[in-house]
Amino acid sequence: MTGEWMRTARLYVRLLGAQLRAAAQYKADFLVMIFAAVLSQGVGLIFLAALFARVPHLDGWSFWLVALMYAMVTVAEGIGSLLFEGTWRLAAMVNSGELDYLLVRPYPVALQLMSSAVGFNGLGNLVLGTAMIVVALCYAPLQWSPLQGLILVLLAGSAVVVKLAMNLATNAASFWLQGRNPVVAYAMHQVGELARYPLGIYPVGLRVVLTTVVPFAFTSYYPVSYLADGVDATIGLLTPAVAVACVFIAIWVFRRGLRRYESAGS
Amino acid sequence: MSSASEPVIRAAGLTKVFRSPDKAPGLSGSLRHLVRPRHTNRAAVNSVDLTIGRGEAVAYVGANGAGKSTTVKLLAGILIPSSGTVRVAGVDPHRDRLVNARQIGVLFGQRSQLWWDLTVRDSLEVLRDLYGVSRTQFTERLDEFDEVLGLGKLLPVVARRLSLGQRMRADLAATFLHGPAIVYLDEPTIGLDIAAKDSVRMFLRQRVAAGTTILMTSHDLRDIEDVCRRLIIIDDGRIIFDGDLGRAKDAYARQRQLSVQVDAPVDLAALRAGLPEAQVEQGASTRELVVVFDRFAHRATEVLDALTRQVDVVDFRLQEPQIEDVVRRVYRGELLVLPPQGVDA
Repeated sequence: MTGEWMRTARLYVRLLGAQLRAAAQYKADFLVMIFAAVLSQGVGLIFLAALFARVPHLDGWSFWLVALMYAMVTVAEGIGSLLFEGTWRLAAMVNSGELDYLLVRPYPVALQLMSSAVGFNGLGNLVLGTAMIVVALCYAPLQWSPLQGLILVLLAGSAVVVKLAMNLATNAASFWLQGRNPVVAYAMHQVGELARYPLGIYPVGLRVVLTTVVPFAFTSYYPVSYLADGVDATIGLLTPAVAVACVFIAIWVFRRGLRRYESAGS
Repeated sequence: MSSASEPVIRAAGLTKVFRSPDKAPGLSGSLRHLVRPRHTNRAAVNSVDLTIGRGEAVAYVGANGAGKSTTVKLLAGILIPSSGTVRVAGVDPHRDRLVNARQIGVLFGQRSQLWWDLTVRDSLEVLRDLYGVSRTQFTERLDEFDEVLGLGKLLPVVARRLSLGQRMRADLAATFLHGPAIVYLDEPTIGLDIAAKDSVRMFLRQRVAAGTTILMTSHDLRDIEDVCRRLIIIDDGRIIFDGDLGRAKDAYARQRQLSVQVDAPVDLAALRAGLPEAQVEQGASTRELVVVFDRFAHRATEVLDALTRQVDVVDFRLQEPQIEDVVRRVYRGELLVLPPQGVDA
């Protein structure tokens, strides 16, 4: 069993490595993408700083804690682009019938898909996001203990998993829509951006949606709530459970979708 | 035929129905479709029964849209049947996808399985890891394939720089790399020049000789004659012919054509009297003749003798019946369908 897991992980790295080698042929692409990523994330950060120059708190949250939320989403997106960018290719693959060859190879289709591209912009997000998290943790008013550190790692990891699972599940909508572009996933990705700010600033209905239907609030707000001992601290502790649930749902949706796959051509 | 060897592919009542939207043309049609969607169901593959024995080489032939590719995708586990069953070496190719993937190889001539931005060698190395082929075996196979496919020169080339013929050769190596027992080839010679076609055919003949079970579709009937022993013809989703290729030719492609150049004009009436079973026609000029005859009614030498009694033959060319003729006549509905495989076996 462990052997099988090891093989799966090793091959994932192998497939991703192949994409890395392929992408390495386009060096200018690489640099431009990283620059663009840093730029777009930086713009958001500038806005956040400008906002807090006017108001001391946002729904009771200080700048550094909101920056932490913001950075967690940045890091999750970075990891998604760098290691799982292929997820976004599903629509095109379903539409063109490219998925055919993935289905006849002895490796899980979803993993072949996710490893089928590398987004270097992720590297920019990852570096910038991590730096922001480190700085924010230094300045934020948090009580520290080794246990707290361990929980932080667990919650942050789970938050990333929630984001990735949502990516897979929303992209799997392409099995039903069959269009060339992942329209549902793009739209949901935009919804996910709401999670960069405290949940309390949104109307109740939206809060419920972001907690249950599309639980993006678990990618940043709830874990930070737990760390800061905020109003939703207890819910924050549920992040790992939500992550597991999201993974199972994403796999289920993907499998259901795969059954509908019709390939292309005669 | 297949009854001689143990069946490795079995399909029963295999059916695949595609639902396609009925849209009126233009934007208004698309909008109307959004409000009130209507669909048409079309059976791309309709109640197909198929039994293929281990080591058989089967040609799967049909017009565009007849259901060839859909059948291949159903057998490979890419599509789920709407109804009916498939078993490939004992497993359901879709449900036991991972098990099935190890025993089959697939090539779609129209689409490459190589990594676009990687060299051929890099692509093959990735596949080697995916299938868990040992390094020794990998080297051995590449050496073996190299003879016919001329792989050596292709290995350091990035896939996107390959010509179509080179790409197909590299793709063939990728398909057979893990030593699959069963291989599906969907138009493996499409768009290739004669030389490339020849190497593909030679390679496939070798694989068949080595015991691989092959099902291939093609529009090039030379491919079929060169590689396959058994012919299956599909039309509008149904199998309309399934039998031995040679027997099909004997039964339906009996017309040989002898084109003759003579040194003086010929009395056609006298010639026709001497060859009552044959059709004798004037060729492009008065010094050219075309004789079409049933190869079971006349021998070619008989026809030549009849000619030389009248005139001196300068040159002649004998055209053998082509399997193409069989297929064309089956499409036209001119031929009675042979009893399906298994009934007469």
